[in-house]
Order: sequence, then structure tokens, then C-alpha cells
Amino acid sequence: MPIVQTHRLSKTYRSGLIRRSSVEALKAVSLSVEPGEIFGLLGPNGAGKTTFVKLLLSIVLPTSGGATILGEPLGALVIREKSGYLPENHRYPQFLTALQVLSLFGSLHGMKKKQIREKSLELLKLVGLEEWKSVKVKRYSKGMLQRLGLAHAMLNDPEILFLDEPTDGVDPVGRKEIRDLLRELRSKGKTIFLNSHMLSEVEAISDRVAILNKGEVLKVGTIAEITSRHLEYEFRLDRPLSDDTYNGLHTFVKIIEKDGKILVLGLDEKNDLNRVADMIRQDGAFIESMTPRRSSLEDYFIQLIQTGEGK
Amino acid sequence: MFLFTIREAILRGTLIFYFAFANIIIAFFAIALRLSPEDGKTILLLGNPVLPRLPMDFDPVDFLLIQLQRSSTTSALLFGVFAVAGLIPSMLEKGTVDLFLSKPLSRTSLLLSRALGASTGVVLNLMYFAIGMWLVFGINLGVWHWKFLLSVVAVCVAFTFFFSIVAISSLITRSTGFSIMFAFAYTMFSSAIQARELTLFKWWDNVVYHRTLDAIYYATPQLSDMLEKATRIIGKLPFERGPWDQSPAGFDMWPFVYSLLSASVIYFLSIRYFSKQDF
Repeated sequence: MPIVQTHRLSKTYRSGLIRRSSVEALKAVSLSVEPGEIFGLLGPNGAGKTTFVKLLLSIVLPTSGGATILGEPLGALVIREKSGYLPENHRYPQFLTALQVLSLFGSLHGMKKKQIREKSLELLKLVGLEEWKSVKVKRYSKGMLQRLGLAHAMLNDPEILFLDEPTDGVDPVGRKEIRDLLRELRSKGKTIFLNSHMLSEVEAISDRVAILNKGEVLKVGTIAEITSRHLEYEFRLDRPLSDDTYNGLHTFVKIIEKDGKILVLGLDEKNDLNRVADMIRQDGAFIESMTPRRSSLEDYFIQLIQTGEGK
Repeated sequence: MFLFTIREAILRGTLIFYFAFANIIIAFFAIALRLSPEDGKTILLLGNPVLPRLPMDFDPVDFLLIQLQRSSTTSALLFGVFAVAGLIPSMLEKGTVDLFLSKPLSRTSLLLSRALGASTGVVLNLMYFAIGMWLVFGINLGVWHWKFLLSVVAVCVAFTFFFSIVAISSLITRSTGFSIMFAFAYTMFSSAIQARELTLFKWWDNVVYHRTLDAIYYATPQLSDMLEKATRIIGKLPFERGPWDQSPAGFDMWPFVYSLLSASVIYFLSIRYFSKQDF
């Protein structure tokens, strides 16, 4: 059973009292997130990523459609009880220290003082803020605030973590540490919903991603599914093929690249793969490897956003 | 959230200033207020008799306490509004509101804890001053004036009802500046509408207009009335009232009852509004 399941979730923002104007931030988004996976929601600025997460946490109210999170309908308090959230550009009360921030939000989760204290010290150590625990957050850098935000999101030991641009403002070492931390959380069975426009980050850790643009989901799948080019295969051979074999292949496949021992072919259908292999073997060549070709997530993302394909 | 709000309210510079100011006044009276060693009755302030020309039927202790209650109420309102009007807008700031709304708390409890916490921050300061002065009068003069404490409790209740106006205005505008201006405008409006029969009614002799003003008077917290009734708890008012004052002397709880109802309605509307907002 999915941990997050949305059904045609839509949000239209309306403004203005006399001249009413409206913006469709989300258009009938149906997505599901499985327990224990890292799910990345990708999209350019203004795609509706933050609105989507805010809808799930009832910070924003839906115009139509519905969703269940942890088996509960939207708006149920238990959802917020069992989830952690790191908002984008979050702002903590400036007069509080890191420990006090965690104490405040821990108490809002109904945690006991002793439990909050122990968990806070553990998490601040985990995110590298142990030495800063008694310093007021107004002195923190952007990266430190992000780390504190992560600690805050994990405070109640949530079943699902919603992270909106978690590595924003964090240095490369810190980003790697956050990635490792998220992998560790996944290994403990936690579900992570990652909102980001940093494609390399998402590509590096997500099990599945969805690409959102102008409020619509353009594509959902694993990174491998999304980045594999349609029926393009790269063959590595022990020697170049004869011209006759090339001509024979040319009658039913598209030869994309021919560089000595490397051959890249575009197929019309997957069954052609066996036929190609047979022809290569008949030529007496040995197939050392055969791999589907992938584009980078960034290439695919840009192409998808520009063409709007996948709808 | 309630405790956090009280703490935030107290940590704001304005209330710290009020607290410091209150301490200075308490210390001054603790040092300067004495009973005359000659007759054991005359109240001396810095060695001089207090108000020797006060009419015979006025109690000088009541008079002093009424003055103190009035000035502390005025300054508590002034500093209090400055200090806590920003508490709801600060909760609604982009980046902060998400943190609070993502917690397992209903928007109703979030708003009410914030509003009550803000009021309590002011109330604590006011009560501190009142208890301090009450102790000074008790220890130095042997007068344990319980009605003075009761009157300050009434002022605190009045401030809590009045804060509903600040809460709804800051919720709608999400602006500290506007909320402060609106709160001060409301205090003036409250005095004007209390005296509507002798002032505002004369501007336009129209029944609909008069009944509308009456409706506004009963639909909003009657701050001016409540503060006046709170003062009357202490004792007889030793100064001329305005011509609009036709109410019987002494405490009257109706302004508090009407204000409780109107504040409840305003908080209910605020909750409804807050529950339907996107952040």
C-alpha cells in the first residue's frame, strides 16, 4: 500500500477582491510513493513542487481531488504527527538557540522534555551542529540552518520525511553528508519525499522521481526508466563487423554510431535485439557487452520541460 | 505554543522596558511612601502629606491606587500593544508559518495559544506591577487593598478581550504595523462609541445610524467601559466624570459580559478565517 497516494489533486490560487485572478498551481496530480523509498519531485521553479508538499501537510488546502498519507485522508492530525518537514527557506525564531528550537518543536509534537533533550543532542551531533547547540540561530549560516532544519524534521522519528530543497545553501561536503544521511534513513525503512530542482542530487539518491511542470506531472519512474533512451543499445564487440553485416543490420535497425568495436543501434521493437545478436554472432564477432543507452537526467529533464512530452 | 508565546512576548524589548519601569515605580513607592510617625494616619510621600486638599469623603489610599491603576493600565495598553501585536504576524511570516502548521496541532489551538500567550505576556507584567504596589501599600501603610488587585485582574480580562481585535486585524493583514495602528485607533474608537449618545449621535440624527452605532458597540469588546468599570472596583472615583457618564457608581459587570460574547465571536471568526487560509 502506498504511503502517499494522491488522486487528481488540484490547487488554484485565487487573489484580488474586485478583479479576481487565479493561478492553477497543480492540475489533477495523481502520484503514489511507496514505503521505504526516496521519491524525488523534480521541476523548474514555479512548477508546483512546494504547493504539492504543502497540500499533503495541509498547509495549503486543495481546490479539488484528494490524497491519503499513511492511510489517512488529507488534513488528519496523525499525518503531521508521523511526518517530518523541512520547508524551503524556513525561518526559526531568531532569539532561540538550536536546542531551544528543537525543544519548541518537539513539544508541539507532544514529546516529553527528557525525550526531546536526548533526541536533540543526538540529532545535532548527527548534523554536525553539536558545538553550536547553545548559540542563537540568528548567528547561523544558511548551511547551518539547513542542517538544523534537517534535525528538526527528524526530531519526532517520522515515518515519512518531506524535504523541500534540503541541500540549498549547503557546501559540497555538507551535501554529501546529507545524501549519506538520507540513504541511512532509507535503510532504516523511512520514506523520503525530496523536492528539488538540483537534478544531480536527486539522481544520486532517488529510487523514483516525478517530473512536474506548470502543475502537471510529465513523467514518473525510476531514474533508469526515465533516462534510458527509447530502444537504443550500445554493443561492445571484440572486433569490427564486416560491411555485409552492417548492410544487413541497416535493413531493420538504425545505426546511430559505428566506431570500430562499438556499435550503437536504434531499434523499432525490442524483439529486434535477438535478431541483431544473431547477425553479430553469424559474423563471428563476440559480444562483450550490450547495454541500453541512457541520457543524463539533466538532458532528459530539459528536453521534457521544453517539449512538454510525457503528459 | 502558549508558553513559547509568553516567552517571546516577554523577550520583546518593549515589555522588558515596561518591566524595568514597573520596578523603578515600585522601588520609588517602597522607599517614599510612609505613614506619618506623628499621627500614624497621614500618608507621606517623600516626607510630604499626600493630597492634603482631597475632599473629606475620598480615601487617599483609594485615590493613590486609582491613579496608579489608571497609569499602569494606560502604559500596559501602550507597551502591551507594541510588544504583542506582532506575535501573530510573526507566526504567519513566510518560512515560519510552515513550521508551525506542519505540526500536529489544529489551527484553532495554534491561533488561540498564540493569542492567549500574547495576552498573558502583558497580563504577567501588569500583575507583577500590581502585586508589587499592593505589597508596598500593605507593608508601608498596613492597607491590604484586595479590591486594587481585583481591579487589575479586571483590567487583565479587559486586555484579553481587547486582544481579539488585535488578533483578527493582524491575522487578516499579517502586518505588525497595521495591527498596532488599528489597536490604537480602536482604543480611541472605543471611548468615542462609549459616549455615542452625547457625541456621535449628534453628528447625524438618523435612527438607522444610531442603531448601527449601538450594534457596533455591543458587537465589539467595550474596552473603554471595561477599564472604567475596573477602576470603579477600587473605590469612588475622586474626579469629575465626563457628561456622558450616566452609569451608576460602582462596578458593573455587563461590559465584561458583552465583551466576552463579542470577543468570543471575533475569535470564532478569526479561527474560521485562519482555517481557510493557504500559507
